[in-house]
Amino acid sequence: MKKLLTGNSAVSHAVMLARVQVISAYPITPQTTIVEELSEFVADGRLKAKFIRVESEHSALASVAAASAAGVRVFTATSSHGLAYMHEMLHWTSGSRLPVVMVNANRAIGAPWNIWCDHSDSLSQRDTGWIQLYCQSAQEALDTVIQGYRIAEEVLLPVMILEDGFFLSHTSENVDVPEQKEVDAFLPPFQPRYKLDPQEPHTFNIMADPTKFISFKFAAQKAMEDAQKVIAQVDREFKSRFGRGYGSMTKINLADAEVVLFTLGTAASTALEVVKELRKQGKKVGLCRLRQFRPFPTAEICGVLQDVRKIAVLDRDNSLGAGGILAQELKAALFALGRRPKVFEYIAGLGGRDITPQDIQEIFMSTLQKPQPPASPIWIGVEK
Amino acid sequence: MKKRSVKKISKKPLPKKPVPDFSLPPMSISFSPSLAIKTGTWRYLTPVYVNKLAPCSEACPAGEDVEAVLALAGEGKFLEAWEKIVQENPLPRICGRVCFHPCEASCNRKEFDEPTSINALERFLGDYAYQRGAKIPLPPEKRSEKIAIIGSGPAGLSCAYHLARLGYNVNIFEAQPQLGGMLRYGIPAYRLPKEVLDQEIENILSLGVVWRPNSALGRDFIWEDLKNFDAIFLATGAWQSLKLRIPGEESSGVISGLEFLKKINTGQEISLGERVAVIGGGNTAMDVARAARRLGAKPLIIYRRTKEEMPAFAEEIAEAEEEGIEFIFLASPLKIISENGKVKGLECLKNTLGPPGKDGRPEPQPITNSNFLLEVETVIPAIGEIPDFSFLPQDLERTPTSLKIKETGAANLPRVFAGGDIIPQPRTVAYAIGSGKKAAIAIDATLKGKEIEEALCSARWGEKGSLSMALYLGGRQDKVPRQVVKFADLNPAYFQHQSRSAKEKLPAHERILNFAEVNLGLNRDKALMEAKRCFNCGVCNLCHNCYLFCPDLAISARPDHQGYEINLEYCKGCCICVAECPRGAISVEVKK
Repeated sequence: MKKLLTGNSAVSHAVMLARVQVISAYPITPQTTIVEELSEFVADGRLKAKFIRVESEHSALASVAAASAAGVRVFTATSSHGLAYMHEMLHWTSGSRLPVVMVNANRAIGAPWNIWCDHSDSLSQRDTGWIQLYCQSAQEALDTVIQGYRIAEEVLLPVMILEDGFFLSHTSENVDVPEQKEVDAFLPPFQPRYKLDPQEPHTFNIMADPTKFISFKFAAQKAMEDAQKVIAQVDREFKSRFGRGYGSMTKINLADAEVVLFTLGTAASTALEVVKELRKQGKKVGLCRLRQFRPFPTAEICGVLQDVRKIAVLDRDNSLGAGGILAQELKAALFALGRRPKVFEYIAGLGGRDITPQDIQEIFMSTLQKPQPPASPIWIGVEK
Repeated sequence: MKKRSVKKISKKPLPKKPVPDFSLPPMSISFSPSLAIKTGTWRYLTPVYVNKLAPCSEACPAGEDVEAVLALAGEGKFLEAWEKIVQENPLPRICGRVCFHPCEASCNRKEFDEPTSINALERFLGDYAYQRGAKIPLPPEKRSEKIAIIGSGPAGLSCAYHLARLGYNVNIFEAQPQLGGMLRYGIPAYRLPKEVLDQEIENILSLGVVWRPNSALGRDFIWEDLKNFDAIFLATGAWQSLKLRIPGEESSGVISGLEFLKKINTGQEISLGERVAVIGGGNTAMDVARAARRLGAKPLIIYRRTKEEMPAFAEEIAEAEEEGIEFIFLASPLKIISENGKVKGLECLKNTLGPPGKDGRPEPQPITNSNFLLEVETVIPAIGEIPDFSFLPQDLERTPTSLKIKETGAANLPRVFAGGDIIPQPRTVAYAIGSGKKAAIAIDATLKGKEIEEALCSARWGEKGSLSMALYLGGRQDKVPRQVVKFADLNPAYFQHQSRSAKEKLPAHERILNFAEVNLGLNRDKALMEAKRCFNCGVCNLCHNCYLFCPDLAISARPDHQGYEINLEYCKGCCICVAECPRGAISVEVKK
């Protein structure tokens, strides 16, 4: 059924369709309306779940992680400082191999105080062991939450689904909300392989001595590598049932492109319009929107970008002293190639600053013109 | 040389042992169930559920199980709460109006915000039960023994009630035309409406208690007439007002406090004039002054010390002040001035406070030449009352102010017990009720051939002497008084601040127009809210905190829902349950 939904509402509907059993969250803009709507679903009985109120995001994730260990399907959502506050529990959740699914509505991290979108919150949690999937539309957010549970429960790693704060979380679009029975057929009830059970109690997260610890970490790494295949397979099956699939990235006009814009999230929608316009003018430009940031699809990226001469990376984040995080990841991935594309780095849209079609056109044109990338990233939109 | 035998090493390979599967699960969980780890072996402290004594229950002179009453009331079980009260005290509607509520003074909640309104709740529960026609159950069996009760004040009524519930034949002898003693003839109707008193007494009489009005010992019958009774309870009260012992005391217009109260309580006409001097600082003086105010007079209370030392209850003093009653402190009457035998004025002397006397209160010391004159038309001395012993047998031992009794409440003659204002104890309704119950237990024990001391010991709540009929009848095992819970024993993190539901009162300008009841009581909603404010000190109310906090899952709810059990195989003695129990119902034992 088609419904006009915001990105956040699309997420709430997906959580309901996934028959989540325990929800815990602490309100923070721009995530709040997700759990607000979920609390209504729980209160009026549309979703049979326990909604645990907590005093912090740390406790929110601790609660759902514990519930997940007890063998139920769980959900939490947060943004920005809330995600930062969860940092310790992000590690514990992945280290405990708990299939928690979380939505983070991307928002800048202060200071200065700011409530608008950028990717610094989730990208600075890239090493916490969570699968990270960045969405471009409300439809994709809904579909990815449903897919997320299949992936998480298969590989036993937590999944973080990212949607751009306000640009996606608070704008409405026509969303196809699948029927419950279709979702049930795609996503059977969670069958935990291990669970906390007072009848047969086991110690969970027992101390692993130096001979064992590395083995657990290696097993998790293997699971993350397996996740590459599982994500693709779940996406294929989803497409066959629902007619929509996303892949690990969106590829536009790559075959003959001289410059490919490489980015995350909703900026890709703007970029798509610019690509169409520039193509009309005969410019050979393309677009690669990365959906799957963790596990990073190195092989696939190398495959699709090896013949491109120039890549313009649009980072909505910055690692002080090292540059855009997406650019670093991409460069590391391309390193194995013999003849590597030249990588031009741009930092834009921090703290909700608009990334306009003009900005993107400028990025394409400057990349086309310059023979070599400058020594450091170019910042777009800094007031002179 | 003996050839040494050398054991040949077998070349045969050893049989292979099955290799256990130690491949790692994805997360670090124990291979075997953790039930194998008996964490109880680590324990050197053991938590134990021990229900303790709430300070309110210990403080109640009538021996009510206050905490249990409030727990039931908090669940909206008002009738059951009333039943719990009347196990111990037949007069909740009276105590709920006139008791000085030491329960509230000892309430732990006062350390948190304000004490629970126990007194107002007691009144609500009593009135609620009455409005619903609740009846006290008849005794399951009648006994043959006959008991004589002399006097029908709160002590006599309490003793009669408890003995009647135990099945005895109870006969009350009352000198006055109606029952109630000081409750009827001493307390004005604005504090205790007569119909409430009548209804409460009716409850007691409905148990089959026989009563004889207008039957005064020494006037209408003599001590020897009581020889057919198996036991006697003396509760004749303290009805003799102390004299001022100053010149002019026999003038017309001088009337003792009790005599005045008796007149107004029996509806007699009395002419006071405008200015009335009330001498004294106790509750009788307050009652007198406030009653006089309602008759249109302008009373003046003259007290020899300051407000600090006044023995009257603070609430009474405050209400008297609200009603516009004047106080003259640090003054003593010297002489009553009269003209043609009729009071015209009162000459007084000013005092200063000297060093503490025998009772610890500073002694008033007269200031010479500080005389002053008050123009008054009536003088009402209310400086104290003493019992009248004139009608009692000479061989009953006594002091000038009270009957001599043993710790058990027994007088020196066999099977004679005493209570109320004739024995040395604070002269309040609650203490009188408590002494009546004590005598009932002592009489029951005596007639059943039991040790009185042991019987009373089994009934005591704590160290303050209050006794429980329920404990006495329940046959208690532990002979030590239960530990009283202090505020420090509670975990107040689990309570929310909430101000108490105060009693509502008539405005002062309305009160002085007539003898209508001043306090209006609590409505149902407020009563329920107030009962829920109770901390239930020391008593498990199944809040689940211990169960939720136990890190070893060693605590489980008992199948009968009467509490929790601790599995000592797994309790490692961390005592988090003790710390997290909001009400101090778990103790720690230092042993395995």
